[in-house]
Amino acid sequence: MTTHSKIRCSLRRFPLIGGIAIAAVFAGPTSAHKDPVKPEQLKAYQEVFMEEVRKGDLLFHGDQKMAEQLGVADDLSKTGMACAMCHPMASDTHPQSFPKFQAQIAKFATLRDMINWCIEKPNQGVKIDPESEAMKALEAYITWSNTGSVLQPGKF
Amino acid sequence: MSDELDRIRREMHSVLQPEGVRPDDSLKITRRTFIHGSLIFGAATVGQAFAWWPLLNTLDIAHAAETPFKFAWISDTHLYPRSLNTRFVDKVVRAAQEVQAMDPPADFLIFGGDLAQLGKIEELELGVDLLKEIKIPQHYIPGEHDWYLDMGKKWGELFGQPNWTFDHKGVRFIGLDTVSRGPDYWTAKNMTPEERMGHMATLDGTVAGPWAGVGRDQLDWMEKTLADWDKQRPVVIFSHNPLYEYYPPWNFWVRDWREVHEVLKPYAKVTNIHGHVHQVLYNEIGTLRSIGMLATSWPWPYAPEGLPKLTKPMIRVDPGDPYDGVGWSKIDVAANDQLETEYIMWGRKEVFVQSPEDHDKHVSEVIRPRIADNMWPYR
Ligand SMILES: [Fe+2]
Ligand SMILES: [Fe+2]
Repeated sequence: MTTHSKIRCSLRRFPLIGGIAIAAVFAGPTSAHKDPVKPEQLKAYQEVFMEEVRKGDLLFHGDQKMAEQLGVADDLSKTGMACAMCHPMASDTHPQSFPKFQAQIAKFATLRDMINWCIEKPNQGVKIDPESEAMKALEAYITWSNTGSVLQPGKF
Repeated sequence: MSDELDRIRREMHSVLQPEGVRPDDSLKITRRTFIHGSLIFGAATVGQAFAWWPLLNTLDIAHAAETPFKFAWISDTHLYPRSLNTRFVDKVVRAAQEVQAMDPPADFLIFGGDLAQLGKIEELELGVDLLKEIKIPQHYIPGEHDWYLDMGKKWGELFGQPNWTFDHKGVRFIGLDTVSRGPDYWTAKNMTPEERMGHMATLDGTVAGPWAGVGRDQLDWMEKTLADWDKQRPVVIFSHNPLYEYYPPWNFWVRDWREVHEVLKPYAKVTNIHGHVHQVLYNEIGTLRSIGMLATSWPWPYAPEGLPKLTKPMIRVDPGDPYDGVGWSKIDVAANDQLETEYIMWGRKEVFVQSPEDHDKHVSEVIRPRIADNMWPYR
């Protein structure tokens, strides 16, 4: 009886969901949702991610060429210091603990806020655009390098 | 890496340590206690360690001297040219002033390596210039940052032989070179000297490989150097890298630790004082005790695994304060068989963690080696 009622419920919703899907087809690329994901697609998605990790790894380790390519060569550091000098393998960056109240900044902060704080204070550089590719690449590298760490948002 | 590290660490302990001996809660760390077998090994947790570790920032590490004396240690200044980074310069100036102001004065200064950041002539010369303010005798050993631009040429011109020995008031001191024998990772890849230095200067790099080692030739030299020394009398060995295996992925070790311990085994009172780790570290393996010193430049976080159970960790530092987590050390050698080290950490009254939240590993982390230095355009 319960099952039956659920099916009826689904049937009633179906036209609505169909409508959203059709709208989405007109609005943007959703055809990927229609077929099971293919190995080539997974590979492509992973490659996009790993390319950002690679760029972030280089920025994090003070690579000047990559910093120039991403337009942040004059900003990331003015002391010769690079992120990795205090954070080998991105240790002690604790991406799994964000967002949280960040004592140094004295406010509720995201990982990007903290990255910019490190650029400004220890590196004596200039904050970068939080939406820039450089910031996303740094975030990609830091989170990738901490793969396997358990989420502990808010932890000091 | 973790499995491999586990395997080799089990091997290290089985080779060098007796099994399962634990100190009781009232234990005070003294050399005598340790010599008589109270090695902590096995299941001690950080919490247990807090409970029994003496809460003071000096270590009682007992050693004989004919008359009491002090010496000072500075290392890991990582100087850039003055035009690029004045913070590191300021901290060396401060350390030099404080060492020079010691009263009674220290008998000598040990500089424990990584004077320069990228091995440049101007960086090394800047270091010499700043440390000239210290008027007592100075003894230098090299760090990897001093060496791999010109393979030790400038360093040798400034400081001479990288390994040396002298006796002082009943203690034999030995300085080791643990950096110059890195396997050649540059020739096949046609690296410029700057590229070679860059890979060496990256602690978490994957290209330079297991470069830290003492080498057979230097081990033989150390054996010869110790041959005429009474096995019950104290030996203090200075090295840039720790002489045991803490965390090989960051080269917090020497790759030939087995051979080092083999040479030192007959000697009952050996203390190794080392730099490179930029953090408070204490360990005992067999008859060798090891003490890790602070940098003046910046602190490294503790490695994600392998922190010796005998280490009471230093306090988690404030990255906004360039004077926090860094400093230099005083070492007192007393006539009653004792040797104490005191960490002079500028930013803190309390050098050691006071609660689990003070520990940088309070947020548990799993981290992995970098990849980009093994990919185009570096490969
Ligand atoms: Fe260093
Ligand atoms: Fe070093």
